[in-house]
Amino acid sequence: MAALPRRIIKETQRLMQEPVPGISAVPSETNARYFHVIVTGPEDSPFEGGLFKLELFLPEDYPMSAPKVRFITKIYHPNIDRLGRICLDILKDKWSPALQIRTVLLSIQALLSAPNPDDPLANDVAELWKVNESEAIRNAKEWTRRYAMDN
Amino acid sequence: MGSCCSKEPPNTGPVEPYVPSPVAVPSTTRGITETRVAAPKLVVDPRIVDELILELLALIASFVDNEEESPVSLVKLHVIAEKEEGWFQVVTSMVRIIPLDNPLGPSAITIVFDDCPLPSKEQVIKLTQMLGLSAMRALAADIDVQVERNICVVLGCIADKLAGPNSVAVLTEETLDYMLSFLMFRREPRIVLFALIALEKFAHTTENKLTIKERLNKEDDNPLLLLERHANSQDYTWRQVGFCAKWALDNLFTVEGRCLSYQTVDMSKINALMNTQDVSEYLKISCDGLEARCDSYSFESVRCTFPVNSGVWYYECLIITPGVMQIGWATKSSHFLNHICINQKGKIIKEGYGIGDDIYSLSYDGCRRLIWHGAKPTPVPDVEGWRPGDIVGCLIDMDAEEAIFTVNGVHVRTCTHLFEVSRRNNVDLKQSSQGFFAAASFMAFQQCRFNFGVESFRYPPNRPFKIFNEHGSLTDEQKRVVPRRITLELLRETTVKENACTLCFDADSCCVLEPCQHRGFCSLCTAQLKECPMCRAAILQIRVEST
Repeated sequence: MAALPRRIIKETQRLMQEPVPGISAVPSETNARYFHVIVTGPEDSPFEGGLFKLELFLPEDYPMSAPKVRFITKIYHPNIDRLGRICLDILKDKWSPALQIRTVLLSIQALLSAPNPDDPLANDVAELWKVNESEAIRNAKEWTRRYAMDN
Repeated sequence: MGSCCSKEPPNTGPVEPYVPSPVAVPSTTRGITETRVAAPKLVVDPRIVDELILELLALIASFVDNEEESPVSLVKLHVIAEKEEGWFQVVTSMVRIIPLDNPLGPSAITIVFDDCPLPSKEQVIKLTQMLGLSAMRALAADIDVQVERNICVVLGCIADKLAGPNSVAVLTEETLDYMLSFLMFRREPRIVLFALIALEKFAHTTENKLTIKERLNKEDDNPLLLLERHANSQDYTWRQVGFCAKWALDNLFTVEGRCLSYQTVDMSKINALMNTQDVSEYLKISCDGLEARCDSYSFESVRCTFPVNSGVWYYECLIITPGVMQIGWATKSSHFLNHICINQKGKIIKEGYGIGDDIYSLSYDGCRRLIWHGAKPTPVPDVEGWRPGDIVGCLIDMDAEEAIFTVNGVHVRTCTHLFEVSRRNNVDLKQSSQGFFAAASFMAFQQCRFNFGVESFRYPPNRPFKIFNEHGSLTDEQKRVVPRRITLELLRETTVKENACTLCFDADSCCVLEPCQHRGFCSLCTAQLKECPMCRAAILQIRVEST
């Protein structure tokens, strides 16, 4: 095993000791660079009440490059596609090594509160979000109920 | 806060609507049926699903382009599996038709699971009931090895995908009995192997690990203790079982009174081995550091401890599994990218990068019969695919500037790529980054054993050569292959110094960025920065403060 950088150990310790409200991130038993993440749907969003699973992986050159994050739970959102890939600038060209796992997850939670259909990853979802927002929100609520409320 | 930045529509091929035809549906399993739940109705003609799966399997064998779009068959299977009934169909079809003897069969199952929507726990429990998983099924007389092997592969995939509370719910007593029965009664090794791997995947969730461990220790003879005796078997399937059992006993299901393998293995004659500090996350390395195996779904790589930069060197590799491995040479400049990665268009590239996938490395894959360099494959159609027991010979001659691969002493190819790169880019790979290391990458469920000269070579080359094991030198500490969990525990106790770099926490912070004046970074991190991590201002100058 490649030696685990202090940075990752430190971030992991802090995530455990001072968890972010509404977010749980637990490192895998066998791979300290792989995190099982659960994000709760934000209040007053169509995702309220849902528990969304994500996977987060810290690549070899983290923190010089961004974590890889993906939704595992299906979600109806204009910036998240059917494979769970997330369209978020700080995960791509706006990454900074001063950002952390916790700031990334907070940004993802914020993206759930504020979908951005003008810069979509899931085109069909974004299209509906623009032409008929209330129906899109109904779909998002329905998907949340169907896929993210499994106890 | 971040906002959306990339645009790429998901490429979902249309699937023809299915009109049920009056064909008989082959039953998915044989044997006991009493507790079995009825299969849900079909959404697609089962023959189409079968065809798509076999098409995909054939494609994986020639799936060589890392940048390729998802294969159409995989996209269609995804669409089918989006409906719950469709998911059952895809899974039961794989269980039924993935051939036992295809070296890429289990990998194909993992690829489909990786791409298809995640099932709910209810869906999985229903599947296990439909298949009637139980000790009785595992012990039935008329067992179908192919079907049971595939079921165990599927269980492993599910456990891997549903880590956490769902994995606990899915591991019902019956399903656990089913897997354990294969271990206890040591039936067909091909099933035992994948039952063991599935248990290992379930054990990623702590509660399951404790349950399984308790069950194993309750037996008079812990079945793993019997299975680990096969670790040096000449039967290559049993040997894999032995390797996995030993690994599980060292890493997951420890037994009181059993010393960990690294504490008892004799390392006195070994002076070169796989470097446990230079390996991607999931590769399993034997306690003597010479045998390696991958059971994760990513492409895993490792370099050995000893680099060479002049003269002629040779090592051999015993092929234990016939699937995709890329064995050869790498410098420190080759990166192991073992996880999903995302290209500039935001597309996930599933295949990992390994040895031979950059210009700093060269490898031979005897399954697909390809020489790899710079992520470009060169087919070698005139040789046969490798089989368990084959010996791959890897020679590098830095005077003649060539690398030669052989299989069982038969010449495969003489390659000059690595030396051409040096000439073209006006850098000497031999001298830069320490030199060349023996190195290999592994697809899921692949295993091989390296011989750096601790045993005599089976097919020594007919030119004078040097032997790693005679020139290498390692401290006792460096020779120790300590189970990962122990290393992790030690690392967790790490503390951070007061004035440590705020990016890596390793070195002292000593740099101030100009003109923005942000500070708190060490020189190593600063050297990698393009802009200030705090304010994104351009860095025009770096001022070093003395501490």
